[in-house]
Amino acid sequence: MSRLYATFKYTLISVWAGFVVGPFMWAVLTSFKDANGVQGGATYLPWVQYEPTLTGWQNIFGGAGGVDVVRPFLNSAVITLVASIISLALGALAAYGLSRYRFKIGFIANSDIIFFFVSQRIMPPVVLVVPFFFLLQWANLLDTIPGLVIVTVALLLPIAVWVMVDFFNGIPRQIDEMAMLDGCGPFGAFVRAILPNSVPGLTVAAMFCAVFGWNDFFFAFRLTFTEIQTLPQAVVALNSSIPPWWTLSAAALFGMSPLILLAVWVERYLSKGSLPGVIR
Amino acid sequence: MAQIDIVDVGHTYTAGAEQERWALKPMRLTLEAARTYALVGPSGCGKTTLLNILSGLVKPAQGRLLFDGSDVTALPTKARNIAQVFQFPVIYHSMTVYENLAFPLRCRRWDKARIEARVHQVAEALGLDHRLRQPARRLTADDKQLISLGRGLVRDDVAAVLMDEPLTVIDPQLKLSLRRRIREITEQFRPTVVYVTHDQYEAMSFAQEVLVMKDGRVIQQGTPEQLFEAPASTYVGYFIGSPAMNFLTVERVGGQVTLAGRPLAMAWDVPDAPQIQVGVRPEYVKIVGEPAANVFPTRVRGVRDHGPQRVLEVELAGQLIKVKTPREDGVPATGQILVELPRAKVLPYVDGHLATTPRAADPE
Ligand SMILES: Nc1ncnc2c1ncn2[C@@H]1O[C@H](COP(=O)(O)OP(=O)(O)O)[C@@H](O)[C@H]1O
Ligand SMILES: [Mg+2]
Repeated sequence: MSRLYATFKYTLISVWAGFVVGPFMWAVLTSFKDANGVQGGATYLPWVQYEPTLTGWQNIFGGAGGVDVVRPFLNSAVITLVASIISLALGALAAYGLSRYRFKIGFIANSDIIFFFVSQRIMPPVVLVVPFFFLLQWANLLDTIPGLVIVTVALLLPIAVWVMVDFFNGIPRQIDEMAMLDGCGPFGAFVRAILPNSVPGLTVAAMFCAVFGWNDFFFAFRLTFTEIQTLPQAVVALNSSIPPWWTLSAAALFGMSPLILLAVWVERYLSKGSLPGVIR
Repeated sequence: MAQIDIVDVGHTYTAGAEQERWALKPMRLTLEAARTYALVGPSGCGKTTLLNILSGLVKPAQGRLLFDGSDVTALPTKARNIAQVFQFPVIYHSMTVYENLAFPLRCRRWDKARIEARVHQVAEALGLDHRLRQPARRLTADDKQLISLGRGLVRDDVAAVLMDEPLTVIDPQLKLSLRRRIREITEQFRPTVVYVTHDQYEAMSFAQEVLVMKDGRVIQQGTPEQLFEAPASTYVGYFIGSPAMNFLTVERVGGQVTLAGRPLAMAWDVPDAPQIQVGVRPEYVKIVGEPAANVFPTRVRGVRDHGPQRVLEVELAGQLIKVKTPREDGVPATGQILVELPRAKVLPYVDGHLATTPRAADPE
């Protein structure tokens, strides 16, 4: 029975791992091929079945016939970082308020406000992009980094609020009460007693922000023209009538690298067991 | 150190509820400066609510709160200068033990040397001095509660110290010495102390005055002595004292109260009522050898050990009462014993309430 279960379990895990790792490995292999390597069916073994080259990788760093993705990479990094920080700061404040105080504006209560935040993500991006376009145009921020930062904050804030409300709800209210008895005002209680205990929640929220911010293609695509290009845009721009698969693969891997590093770092942090059970 | 006046303060957690169902019925109460009060009552009777109103964590639905005569009802917790210890440990997980204890002082901008001295003093009193550098989250529940306690006692300039069943999670072995430590620390700066407990022994031994609560009301306030000698209601009689006070239903024939067909003399005028009960503490019921006034024959129904004492359960006119006797007296040999209900210690109760009017000229 338990043997059967173990077999079943590991089979399932292997299949799943194949699904997850397969495309990734495929991209790794492809990124070291060139036009010859990708023609004539699938090949797997470097040096045996095909001759590995660095063409793809050279192309994304300004090699002849390629596109330099370093500049878009930096753009994406700045936008994601700044927008994530702003979203976390505003989101944590909003979430703390929503977690600790009862609001009532007409028939609108806390849960409605939280739903309002989350609903921003439920709405299809197409619906949002037109108003964003006109707002940015009005503010003269189209095709600029600040403009994209603002839009990205609008995308990330709901996530930050959602994650943090849940997290703060899990922190006993007595901690705040204690801090107020000890001489803090509501804001002091938040900053001095709650925030230092919120690193796990903030990490999870930051992770989400980073992933969603980093991967945004649609809004950057619609709200920039010539001046600013983000990494996902650059990767797509590599495409041409004959797709240079090796360059695309290299660009995709390069684009993924910060998130992979982030995931490894957070995973370590998770496995140390410091995320759950920080409170009690 | 402040006198606290509670003026018609009442509270409900459900807006619009009728007053009979409020968690705290409107009450008027004065807590004198530098006195130690114990608040006792069953779970859910409003003890925590009252404390939270005093500290400002709960804003009362009605009424005013005065500290030394000035109205603090609208003041936030921070501005009230009150220390409070919760029933369960509340510590700042990100800080060390030292930082936890120093936090209230740092928030109030004490200078460093003074903080250091005070934290060490309190830590030493609570036996935390050797773990000041440890991260607070690593400690056991007991030690965490000690930190909570320490944080409540560390400020020596507070108006009042409110403690909400602070020793509930503490090891019984430690309780006794901790109670003494708390007393020692508070006696140094003499704040007004309100100590909530459901342990009547703790209340009686710790406080100068005891408030008994029930269903959101303070039903009796008095010194431990007063609560023991003259419970205002049968409820308090049951609640305070171990074992609880004995209550016996008596008859009234003409002007005379009788029990089991014999007259029962009392030091009080007993009002005329359809149903009268008398209460007498098990401590005051005496086993005697000879029939006399206020002596009744009983039958022994059971014997229980009660620490250094022994509690006999005897049946008197079909009603069970308890008698506390010293251990060295031994268990009475016969099943039949005579007990005396001392005249001055037997109290009349009508409708569950004490109905004594001390006799104008009591011949004694
Ligand atoms: N935050 C709250 N919300 C709603 N009802 C509450 C709240 N706190 C206490 N109550 C209710 O108020 C009453 C008094 O509670 P409490 O003051 O905690 O009693 P105690 O401390 O004596 O056990 C109880 O009936 C309890 O259910
Ligand atoms: Mg309570």
